[in-house]
Amino acid sequence: MSDSTSSSSELFGYVAEFSSASDLYHAAEKIRDAGFRRWDVHTPYPVHGMDHAMGLGKSWLSAIVLIGGITGSSVALFLQFFTQVSLYPTVVQDKPINVFTLPAFFPVTFELTILLAAFATLFGLLGMITLPRWNHPLFNSSLFSKFSNDGFLMVIESRDPKFKREKTKELLEEIGAGKIEEVNY
Amino acid sequence: MAGLKDGDDYKDGEFFKSPALLKLVCFGVGFGGMLLFFILRFAMPDKAGAMGYSWLFAVIFFLSLAVGGLFWTLLHHATNSGWGTVIRRLMENLATLIPFILVLALPLLISGFGFRDALWEWFPKRAAVLTSANEAAAQEKDAYIAERNAVIARAQGDVEQAKKDLAEVAAPSPGHRAHLEKNIERLEAKAYKLSKEDLSDEGAHATLVDKHFLHDEALLFAKRGYLNETFFWLRQIFYFLVLTAIAFILRGWSVQLDKDGDPKWFRWMRRGSCGFLPFFATAWTFLVFDWLMALDFTWFSTMWGVYLFAGAALNSMGVLIILVTVLRKFGYLKNVVTLEHYHLMGKLMLAFVIFWAYIAFSQFFLIWYANITEETRFYLTRNTGLWNAYTIGFLVVGHFFVPFTILLVQKVKKLPVVISCVAGWNLLMHALDLYWIIIPERGPSLTAHLGEANIAMTIPGAWLFDILALVSVAGIFGFFLLRQLSSASLFPCRDPRLDESLNVVN
Repeated sequence: MSDSTSSSSELFGYVAEFSSASDLYHAAEKIRDAGFRRWDVHTPYPVHGMDHAMGLGKSWLSAIVLIGGITGSSVALFLQFFTQVSLYPTVVQDKPINVFTLPAFFPVTFELTILLAAFATLFGLLGMITLPRWNHPLFNSSLFSKFSNDGFLMVIESRDPKFKREKTKELLEEIGAGKIEEVNY
Repeated sequence: MAGLKDGDDYKDGEFFKSPALLKLVCFGVGFGGMLLFFILRFAMPDKAGAMGYSWLFAVIFFLSLAVGGLFWTLLHHATNSGWGTVIRRLMENLATLIPFILVLALPLLISGFGFRDALWEWFPKRAAVLTSANEAAAQEKDAYIAERNAVIARAQGDVEQAKKDLAEVAAPSPGHRAHLEKNIERLEAKAYKLSKEDLSDEGAHATLVDKHFLHDEALLFAKRGYLNETFFWLRQIFYFLVLTAIAFILRGWSVQLDKDGDPKWFRWMRRGSCGFLPFFATAWTFLVFDWLMALDFTWFSTMWGVYLFAGAALNSMGVLIILVTVLRKFGYLKNVVTLEHYHLMGKLMLAFVIFWAYIAFSQFFLIWYANITEETRFYLTRNTGLWNAYTIGFLVVGHFFVPFTILLVQKVKKLPVVISCVAGWNLLMHALDLYWIIIPERGPSLTAHLGEANIAMTIPGAWLFDILALVSVAGIFGFFLLRQLSSASLFPCRDPRLDESLNVVN
């Protein structure tokens, strides 16, 4: 988050307000086509198709969840098989001590798969959205607080390579932004 | 965002013209096959038992698909869903095939066809044990009545004797008197209880029949309240009426809504479905108890109903996916069903692949772990020899791991042809699942052939009947499905939730 390399300003970015979800949607398409990377939109309710308008790809989260799940099942199977069959063969209820005892290990495997997949989901998501954190520059903006009420907002951050203090502001005005606010760190 | 579809543009519906040739082929294959099947049945009376299993397998396979259609209709209404309105008519059409298939099951239930007694051993066993018990009871009745009368007389004599004892004691202490009075009370109670015994001819006969029934067939005796012919037929009528009525009522209201656009039908469907669901669940659960679990009346599993339900719901969704894909290929529903609907249906199919595996494994696991004699027989047969390879290959890998892995990928669910192939694969596995449930029971009863060398576990050549039965019922199923499809709009064109469904995004 640090802006130490850039001595030009303390500017975090722009918050621009649009009059409706539809306007914001079309504005997002234009910003996407202009090639911006570090930007986001904030609306009071989910807007279907916005991910497409913003040019968002598929999230990596599902891959993280898959890895978590596979880790869970292999750890559970290994732990049980190693301890109960290989290391110290344990006969329970006359069940065989070879690969055919596998069904006995399924409940634990199932649970651990779900547990680690759920952990991967939660912590993967928190990592991807860099939470928890103490504060965020956007909370300095008075306009931004409208996002949970009636504001259709777009935020373009200054760390975006395409960001130019004047030109980006002009671009936002051009695509129909009403109010534009500068947000500082 | 832009270009939301407006349900008003679709209010005329879309009507399916079933290809005459296809319909004719279905009719010919279906009814021709059935005719051939029953000609063969009467030409080969010694194979009647084996053919009963084939017919049951074919009927239950297609019945489960139709019942699954009814389930999705009910669920869609009961949860007040909006996503699937455009495919709801297809579910309703599938559900209304139930009575046609149930009629096909009649030969199984009527003993004259020679299927019933081979399929459900408890029918002949019950009849036999009742005959022998009745004979024995008639013989023993007189001796029994005399013996019981003697017992009653003795008990009364004991009471008299005790009273006399009390009277003869000259001056009993209070404790002694209390003791003797208590004894009289006890003996009187015993005599009273005995005097209540029904020792008329009929009463004694019934008592003796029960005694012999319990002695000869203890398990069947314990289940006699459920496994008897009267209650059996009452249940079959219940299944037929409940499943048929729900399917036709819901489709009737839905078609009526197409015509007059009155939202009250929509409310009725929603409220009715919540009330219908328990009846639907009861009917299907006990139907599979009666038809499939009772193939071996000594065996039971409390998860049986939900196991068969999981397979039905999963594969009915598969049929819907294939149906939508084929209809779109022929130019129907082009603008109505989108890839989003495919995605949703694919997700439901994935969910039910997992649900089926969860239930199937739990059923196996609990029985395998507990290892209780009366529960293990079902899995012993199916985990022996070739059936074991079949179980692992088709049910564990084919029915779960293969579709699960493929359906996990998001993209697959949005490729109509690919997801239809997965649905087709699932249908094949569902058929093999039902085959695995029914056919191992067809082998000759081990106890009936006790002492014989080389007991055959399968009947050679019987699989040809299985194929013939499956193809025949498939033809009939297809014929009636085409008929139902063309009898109303392909989607509920004036449903209040049509807009929502047309524009669904997930």
